[in-house]
Amino acid sequence: MLFCMFILIAGCTDFLQIDPQGDLTQASFPTSSSDALQATNAVYAAVRNWYYNSGGYPILDIMSDDAYKGSNTNDQLTTVGAYDNFTFNSTGDGLDRWWATLYQGIRWANVVIEKVPVIPMDTTLRNRYVGEVRFLRGLFYFDLVRAWGGVPEVTASIPPLHLGRATSDEIYSLIVSDLQYAETHLTTKSELISSDMGRATSGAAEALLAKVYLFQKDFVNAELYALKVIQSNEYSLEPRFIDANGVNGNNGVESIFEVGALGVEDYEGGGAQYANTQGVRGSPNRGWGFNRPSIDLRKSFEPGDPRLKGTIIDLGDTLDGVLIIGDPDPANDPVIKLNKNGDTINIQCYNRKVWTPGNDTPTQWSHHRRLIRYADVLLMAAEAMNENGKPADALTYLNQVRKRARGGNISVLPDVTITDKNLLRDKILLERRHELALEGERFWDLVRTGNAATVLGPLGFIPGKHEVLPIHQSEIDISQGSLTQNPNY
Amino acid sequence: MKKLFLFFISQVILLPLFSQQQVNGKITDEKNIPVAGASVQVKNTLRGTFSDIDGGFVIVASSNDTLVLSMLGMATQKIPVAGQTVINVKLLEESKELNEVVVIGYGTVRKSDLTGSVASVKSVDLTKITSLNPEQALQGKVTGVQVTSTSGAPGALPTLRIRGVGTFGNSSPIFVVDGVILDDISFLNSEDIASMEILKDASATAIYGSRGANGVILVTTKTGQKGEGKAVFSYSGEYSVQILAKKIDLLTGPEYATVVNEITPTYNNVNLVPNTDWQSLIFHPASIQSHQLSASGATQNNQYYLSMGYFKQEGIVDRSSYERVTFQLNNTYSLTKNIKVSNFMTITPYKQQNAPDVTYSAYRARPDLLPYNQDGSYAQVFNVGNPLADLAYSNNYNKGVRGVGNLFTEATILKNFKAKTSIGLDAAYNQAISFAPAYFVSPQQQNLLNTLTKGNSDNITWLWENTLSYNKQFGVHSIDIVSGYTMQKATSEDFSMTGKNIIRTSPDFWYFNPNYIYDPTNGVNTLGNISNGVDPNQNYSMISYLFRANYTYNSKYILTATFRRDGSSKFSPGNRYGNFPSFAAGWNVSKEHFMENLPFISNLKVRGSWGIIGNDKIAYTNQYSLTQTMITVLGNPPTANSAVTYSVSGNPNLKWESTTQSDAGLEIGLFKNKLTGEFDYYNRVTSNILIPLSTPDYLGNGQGAKVEFNAASVKNTGFESKITWKDKIGQVGYSITVLGSTIKNTVLKVGGSSGIDSVLYGGYLANGLPVTQSRVGLPIGAFYGYKTNGIFQSVADLNAYPHLSTAVPGDLRIVDVNNDGKIDGNDRTYIGSPIPKFILGLNLEADYKGFDFSVDIQGVYGNKIFNAKEVVRPDPYNWEKHVLGAWTGPGTSNTEPIASYGGNNYLPSDKFIQDGSFTRLRNVTLGYTLPSGLTRKIAVSQIRIYIKGSNIYTLTKFTGYTPEIGSSDVLSNGIDYGTYPITSVYSFGINLTF
Repeated sequence: MLFCMFILIAGCTDFLQIDPQGDLTQASFPTSSSDALQATNAVYAAVRNWYYNSGGYPILDIMSDDAYKGSNTNDQLTTVGAYDNFTFNSTGDGLDRWWATLYQGIRWANVVIEKVPVIPMDTTLRNRYVGEVRFLRGLFYFDLVRAWGGVPEVTASIPPLHLGRATSDEIYSLIVSDLQYAETHLTTKSELISSDMGRATSGAAEALLAKVYLFQKDFVNAELYALKVIQSNEYSLEPRFIDANGVNGNNGVESIFEVGALGVEDYEGGGAQYANTQGVRGSPNRGWGFNRPSIDLRKSFEPGDPRLKGTIIDLGDTLDGVLIIGDPDPANDPVIKLNKNGDTINIQCYNRKVWTPGNDTPTQWSHHRRLIRYADVLLMAAEAMNENGKPADALTYLNQVRKRARGGNISVLPDVTITDKNLLRDKILLERRHELALEGERFWDLVRTGNAATVLGPLGFIPGKHEVLPIHQSEIDISQGSLTQNPNY
Repeated sequence: MKKLFLFFISQVILLPLFSQQQVNGKITDEKNIPVAGASVQVKNTLRGTFSDIDGGFVIVASSNDTLVLSMLGMATQKIPVAGQTVINVKLLEESKELNEVVVIGYGTVRKSDLTGSVASVKSVDLTKITSLNPEQALQGKVTGVQVTSTSGAPGALPTLRIRGVGTFGNSSPIFVVDGVILDDISFLNSEDIASMEILKDASATAIYGSRGANGVILVTTKTGQKGEGKAVFSYSGEYSVQILAKKIDLLTGPEYATVVNEITPTYNNVNLVPNTDWQSLIFHPASIQSHQLSASGATQNNQYYLSMGYFKQEGIVDRSSYERVTFQLNNTYSLTKNIKVSNFMTITPYKQQNAPDVTYSAYRARPDLLPYNQDGSYAQVFNVGNPLADLAYSNNYNKGVRGVGNLFTEATILKNFKAKTSIGLDAAYNQAISFAPAYFVSPQQQNLLNTLTKGNSDNITWLWENTLSYNKQFGVHSIDIVSGYTMQKATSEDFSMTGKNIIRTSPDFWYFNPNYIYDPTNGVNTLGNISNGVDPNQNYSMISYLFRANYTYNSKYILTATFRRDGSSKFSPGNRYGNFPSFAAGWNVSKEHFMENLPFISNLKVRGSWGIIGNDKIAYTNQYSLTQTMITVLGNPPTANSAVTYSVSGNPNLKWESTTQSDAGLEIGLFKNKLTGEFDYYNRVTSNILIPLSTPDYLGNGQGAKVEFNAASVKNTGFESKITWKDKIGQVGYSITVLGSTIKNTVLKVGGSSGIDSVLYGGYLANGLPVTQSRVGLPIGAFYGYKTNGIFQSVADLNAYPHLSTAVPGDLRIVDVNNDGKIDGNDRTYIGSPIPKFILGLNLEADYKGFDFSVDIQGVYGNKIFNAKEVVRPDPYNWEKHVLGAWTGPGTSNTEPIASYGGNNYLPSDKFIQDGSFTRLRNVTLGYTLPSGLTRKIAVSQIRIYIKGSNIYTLTKFTGYTPEIGSSDVLSNGIDYGTYPITSVYSFGINLTF
């Protein structure tokens, strides 16, 4: 019997070795040209992740004067509600999700940046892959640096366990070098074959560089890169304002970088939850109804500005043949809420910019979120050129945007003719509010132009504190002292 | 298999036979009453017979043979033939408790020679509770064992914890069914089980090494008794009715409207508001029936037990049921004098239907809404959906078959050696099917397209065990040694697929075709979903070496040493092997001479043990850093592109969890063992517990990604006592057993040098908030939340205390636990433990002539329950009755906050903590066995009819359906999420023996 056993042991030296079934290990990936493509594709999945959108809920708009929390009165009242009145703290909902997902995207990009250059394959293609993910890494760091300031600078796929915070200048210079590499090695949008539509392009890198410089108040470079985009003749405005974010404008002339999605009610299957989070609640059941346009936003539009209806869905509207009823239970969500003085303080309404035709939930998941569109570039060019003492050029670009908004109705939104630098700066900022409302720009525009304290002060914004968000307490705890909190949190 | 066969052949040894003669005799008991059916065996041969109705027997034996006379319940006698031709024997009733043979790992031992802590539960007790699962029968029957139902749904598995909660991961014991190591025994019919032995201390479990840390339950299925002589046929049938034991006290329609009006005036006349009692609409009495037919017996060279059982349970909620057929085929063949081959085999096909979670939706559904529209269609129920529609559109099944078998060959070599080899197999196949037709009830409750999901999984585990045992007595010395080598391998595969647009709704069309998976417009997999992989917990291999030596001196002093060395594929090569030793000693004090002066002490034994045992219940993949596959949407039109990148990094340094357990035990029998007691104290410390720890999110592992580390430690201590009084008053025999167990569970370490967490959160609510926290000094899965201290009566009151910025008068006053002058997440603290401090069992049995009667009471004390179903409220839902006493102005209430749909007063706090203690009338059985004189006339040897009730009454302060709330996740224990209620069951049954 013992003899039998020994034979068996000798014959089974590998009996206790069971390799992973159905999964590659990190040591064996990526190693080929097709692996390189798959690893590059993966980084795009990070921008479709729900958490990539400021942790899931559109807190940037909710913190701004453009929107309230939305949804049912009590839904996420203590979590997302805290961003409406700046009562959030370092355990704030979603901050950890957003931060983690940006760093997850960065890690996935680092896999390509680190491993793909040594794969024997076509050099141009290899550089394009690296360029795509460096564009995306720049995009991720740009969110991080705007939201938190100097953050840990991670450039390896397996970084050390303990890292401190870099300065925001260091992060900005990493972003610029990533985007400049991308600009050099990526193709233009028109060179993309249709099945590659949605990949990062040199135009996207330039548009993002313009914005990165704008946030650093480097108006010369902002102008330089905005004009590169404009003068490339790769882009133009959609004739109809609603198509700028709508399904008809998917990968259209105005789209510089957008997030592709399928009408599938889950992330794994290709859906994007960004629009579902903000979709009409109740009937039709398109989503949860967060990011409710504020009364202040509603009132701020110039008389007759058609963009009001392109921004806000009101109950009773009919869109693409679908009647909007909303949440019919007043106990959940009253249609109109008055305060003690009889003033309207809340109107049940929804974000028009995430509307997709249909009356069910899955179709809402097919919305392509625009991360950069041409109207934004025109307004950036206008802003930079005004700052650089070129008001006439600034007005040209500003009025291009207003002209499209007008939609052929010459009685509204007349051309702007102001040339005073300060007044024009305010006008351009207001134009950005109306053009880009509920697209996540407003809060950061107020912060970078120094208007946040004045505009958001009544909502609870504290200067010297709320310009950046707190690093989530769990991350500070886990880092065991290597990360320090932002001031006043 | 080829090697095994060669081995088997090599063991065949034939021995010569001696000359023989015929021996007659008569067997009687103490009162000279003939004993029928006693076994008469010629020692060391296969020759045997049974005494006839007058106690007589005839057997052929040679002069130097020894006859072994045995009968259940009587002391076995060995009588040398020595030339006699007539041998009359008086068999004496034996003291059962002491000579009882107890099954232990890889062997058996007399109870008096046992040094470990082992509890035995016999077949009679296993069938007392009407349940699919034999584990349920252990509730209140064994000290140190806590059995908790997780749900009353047909087919739901209970959780079993032996001596506290030993680890943060899987804390369930393992089962060894006739030598096959398994994770659960739900496929077994209780009727087919002869006994269950619960191995609790290290001495008993260390022989199972890396698997034994959370206890081992040995299950022995029935075999044909040699004493049975001729074939015995038996039938058991039972019919039961289950009823909802208790409804939750919820608001009626008008009451609901009254509370709503306090929040926002909405209803003009509350008396006109409809009243729908959703609980009555979804629950109804339901039946259970079970039948079992068996044949057992023995022939000269063969013992057999063959049975077939049928069990069907309907759920008290529609669309839930469980149906099972069990085949049990057990045979033992004595091939030669020295070689025995046995097989044990169970084959269990089953089908289960699972209801959707309507218990929770019926709890939350507003009572002011009617279930049906005027046209008879399902009405919209805001926020939760219509529970009746959920039921009507649900088709969710599991079906499959599980086969467990073991084939042994045992050879006696030389005189004192036994070699045994066994091949065990556990093969399970399961298919999950769910179909949702397209329907529309409301925008929130609809399904656009017919949807079909099927998931197939198979698990195959084989176990090859080889042992060599040696048993020898030298005068007063007795030695028992067993050593062995075992190999095991588990493989599994899952495959599941979802498709939409199924062309018809009938089950005849619940099969896939490509149109259901791929969207024909773009050829992309947008409709369906496919996944395929292995079950990471069921994909491993193991090699083990085991050894146990037992030495007994004069039946007084007993020493046991065991050792097991296990190698597992779940760990990287450097950490692959673990060693698990244990030592134990026992002293039968009552066998000492000096005890003769204390005649009322019939038995006294002290014993102690120490050992280290392991746990490897982790996924095999934890050591690896893997990649993940995803979809990226690119292109115009948008198309799914495949993508692969790094997944969470693994930890190649993982090693075994180990539990060090010490046990001290005392067994005592007084007054001729009328009063017996067994007491144990244990101390179990589990270290190197594998826990998932947070790593910084900037590493890019993804939000909340965790990596496994050996980084926690837990201690369980407890005292167990079992006291039985057994006697007769006239013709009434009775016994009373009281079992008590204490548990103290303390987390000693979480996280530590590897980093990172100092607490583990768990018990997540639907809104993502955790309600348990395991930290040093507290029990595992301790409840965690705000402490409250009355209600803010006024604005002045509000301003006098730290409060949440959104607090208003009428809100709960949250205690500023850390005294920092503000209320925030840091004020959440320990608010109770889900682990009971004391578990009680009380069993009474009595018989009088043909009547038998038993009562079991079970109790759990000192634990808390978190009433989670009341907490998550973003929208208006129904409330529990106590809301009627809500604060409406200063002085109106200091316990029940202002009525609200959600918000501050629904943050996890001690407001939702309830006392989970309960005392339950677990079982009452009354049986009557018809006089044998009567039954023999119809050729039936025994007819017993009985009625019984299970879970008849529960005394508790808890407001939910049942205070028994288990979870397989030790971090989510005792949280009532609104699960399927456990029922009261009333049964009528009959047992027939031919």
